[in-house]
Amino acid sequence: MSINAEISRRRFIEAMGAVSALGVLGLAGCGSQRASEAGSGSKTASGVADTITFAQGADPRGLDPAYVDDGESAKIICNIYDTLLRYDTETCEVVAGLSQMPEISDDGLTYTFNLQEGVKFHDGTDCDAEAVKASIERQLEPNRTEDMPYASFVFGAEDSGTGIESMETPDATTLVIKLRAASTPFIKNMAMTLAAPVVAPSAFEAGSSNEQPVGSGPYKFVSWSKGENVVLEANEDYWDKENAPKTKNVVFRFIAENSSRVTALTNGEVDIIDGIDASVVDTITQGGCELFDEDGMNINYMAFRTDNSQFTTVEARRAFCQAVNVEEMVKSLYGDYAGVATSVMPLWMAPYAEKVTRTAYDPDAAKAAFAELGITSCTMLTYTNPRPYNSVGGQALAEAIQGYLAKVGVDMEIVSYDWTTYKTKVETDAFDVCLSGWIGDNGDPDNFMNLLADENVSMNAARFRSEEYNALIKKGLETADGDERDDIYLQCEQMVADQMPWMLISHSKNLAGYSPKVKGFFYHPTGVVRMEGLTKSA
Amino acid sequence: MLKYIVKRMLQAIPVLLGVSVIVFLIMRVFSADPAPVVLGQHATPEAMQAWRDAQGLNDPIIAQYFDFLFGAIRGDLGESYYTHAPVLQELMARFPATVELALVAIVIAAVVGVALGVLSATHKNTAIDGIATVLALVGVSMPIFWLGVLLIILFAGVLHVLPSSGRIDPLLQPVGGTGFYLLDTLLSGDFEAFGDALSHIILPALALSMYSMAVITRMTRSSMLETLNEDYVRTARAKGLKLGRVHRHHALRCAMLPVTTVIGLQLGSLLGGAMLTETVFAWPGIGKYVVDCILKSDFPVVQGAVLLIGVIFIVINLIVDVVYAYLDPRITYAKEEG
Repeated sequence: MSINAEISRRRFIEAMGAVSALGVLGLAGCGSQRASEAGSGSKTASGVADTITFAQGADPRGLDPAYVDDGESAKIICNIYDTLLRYDTETCEVVAGLSQMPEISDDGLTYTFNLQEGVKFHDGTDCDAEAVKASIERQLEPNRTEDMPYASFVFGAEDSGTGIESMETPDATTLVIKLRAASTPFIKNMAMTLAAPVVAPSAFEAGSSNEQPVGSGPYKFVSWSKGENVVLEANEDYWDKENAPKTKNVVFRFIAENSSRVTALTNGEVDIIDGIDASVVDTITQGGCELFDEDGMNINYMAFRTDNSQFTTVEARRAFCQAVNVEEMVKSLYGDYAGVATSVMPLWMAPYAEKVTRTAYDPDAAKAAFAELGITSCTMLTYTNPRPYNSVGGQALAEAIQGYLAKVGVDMEIVSYDWTTYKTKVETDAFDVCLSGWIGDNGDPDNFMNLLADENVSMNAARFRSEEYNALIKKGLETADGDERDDIYLQCEQMVADQMPWMLISHSKNLAGYSPKVKGFFYHPTGVVRMEGLTKSA
Repeated sequence: MLKYIVKRMLQAIPVLLGVSVIVFLIMRVFSADPAPVVLGQHATPEAMQAWRDAQGLNDPIIAQYFDFLFGAIRGDLGESYYTHAPVLQELMARFPATVELALVAIVIAAVVGVALGVLSATHKNTAIDGIATVLALVGVSMPIFWLGVLLIILFAGVLHVLPSSGRIDPLLQPVGGTGFYLLDTLLSGDFEAFGDALSHIILPALALSMYSMAVITRMTRSSMLETLNEDYVRTARAKGLKLGRVHRHHALRCAMLPVTTVIGLQLGSLLGGAMLTETVFAWPGIGKYVVDCILKSDFPVVQGAVLLIGVIFIVINLIVDVVYAYLDPRITYAKEEG
């Protein structure tokens, strides 16, 4: 039987129209409100805009600092939460935060934090010593889970004999932390934007803290539209009046494409962008916007495989380093937006490393050494994607090095993978050299120099093993900041320069663009922007 | 009809099973190990091994597949490795954006495409026909990402008349409601927000509609030309009907049948997510999200999203077939006699 016998086409269309209309009326019942009562571009009577919009490349992984490891999360988190201590505005010097600077026992094992009184989380619950203890305790063994990527770094681990052994709260404003072993970087870890920020127990106990964060920081969470934006609003009751938020609303927008972020900035849709490379600098400045370019906290390097390759000897590694004109290469690839690395740590972080002497470019010596060693070819493993320390990507850098080696008679094969695959291949595959890099976490020298003492090959791709070096790292970890500690890390730097497990390449700058209307902007070396001090003229 | 629909739904089961097997195997065989991405740069090999065990990634692949399949049947697509959020929640948070963009794009494509196709056919071998043909050729040939960038540069970068990215000003964004901002803002009577949402969707919808518009123009033109040569059209003209009336009421109606199919298929394709358009315009839809998750080896999200897109295609095709039957008196889904 034909369907046309049952219902005519006209009736069908009428019925579809009625269903649509009913649907719309039904949906009307759902109702909706604005994310904020303030509209776009609204401003206060004083001529100061009440909204600042920051565009970054991607959504945060989450908004609970215990469960994230990415910069996109950190940029939002640092504005919602307080940390026991915090970094100075422009450096990695640690200053008082939720707590005064701690009293440290002579053996370096006991830290007593005296907390600010009367601090409240955004949901009105008390941010006291018990709350801080609970926020940390969930990240300690045995509560710790595998998906807490920074917990062991910040709070230590039982099997390595590091980090927090126990915590006590003698009263509401005192937190006493006892460490398993003395650790100078611990104080810097307490200022980090990953793992360390204090989360309201009410939020993590409810299991909602990753998407509905509750902290005690200068901004309160309003909404998170996945793939679109996170909206924050000023915490009018913020306890730290000196750092009280100056702008009412802060919006983080997610715009993946580099060029789209730049257009959004020059079109006035957003006020600040980051994650840009040198190719868009002219567009930003020609569009009437400001460029921020300060030294970053990173190192771009090439690792020699020291355990099982053609570069197990210092002579072979020296020949390679002599073959590559790093200065010329860095200038050519990164222009003015990266500096030649003469030390593992950027010099702003460790000025004493300036004394280190390195292998100079000498292609004739390299050619002779390679001929003597019988090295005519080698294999390089690299990633393809741009990285924060290597804006041109691994392939372009590898090809530049390949060109220098060809000039001294060595044929270098490049094997490249996307970053994710590359991380696995570095652990499993055979290679002579590989490209890699590091982004500093906490501004402490141990965070950089410890990489070459790490037994984990994903951290120490060179598989560098040196008892002497490891002893220096251990000593540096226990020694208080000062000349003695500086000297230890200077020795480490010189050992890296002499034994060359890495060929150092560059330290890239942090680049950001911002509207000239925005005042007080500073991109911290840890890769975050604290928004509370920013204002924007209307 | 009901029997036909049930039959088609049953036919969808092996299709979805096939889709699930293919996507599952592709992700397991060709994707990188997700552990380093999920656990970060400080992860130890032991921690990565423990995480893989916890996620069942060390189980036999058949067991992993059936875990996934039985979960999917129960409506549980698992949790994102990367964000820990339920996959269905992650996908549904982005789905309205994709649907809204696809619908606006298909409306633009259909209206402009049909109009151009009809004009082209009724003015065959004239300048109008030439222009429409060239436009269709450009639409089919021009990469969307390039067109998107050009539109952004012109309308946002130079003329400053339209926003370059996003769905709406975040502070005007409707909270609650359906997730379809045009609808939500309209129904709540917030015309400022409606205007803002409309201004945001124009450029991405225009870029996204170009390819479909070109395909619809070509299909309408050829279908219309074929219909105009039919005997009944000549008869209509011969009995003295005006040319416009013959075109509108006699020729166009029949010519629209194959065009309807094309529009349906194009809509299905657009609903699957327009990765390039979404990336260029920072449109928070499903396409770009899935590509990001592929790069992060976030298996549960990719598997869930591909299944969802498979379901969408099947449903859209079914709707098109059903609508087709109502529009064309010659088509029936009646039980075969004898």
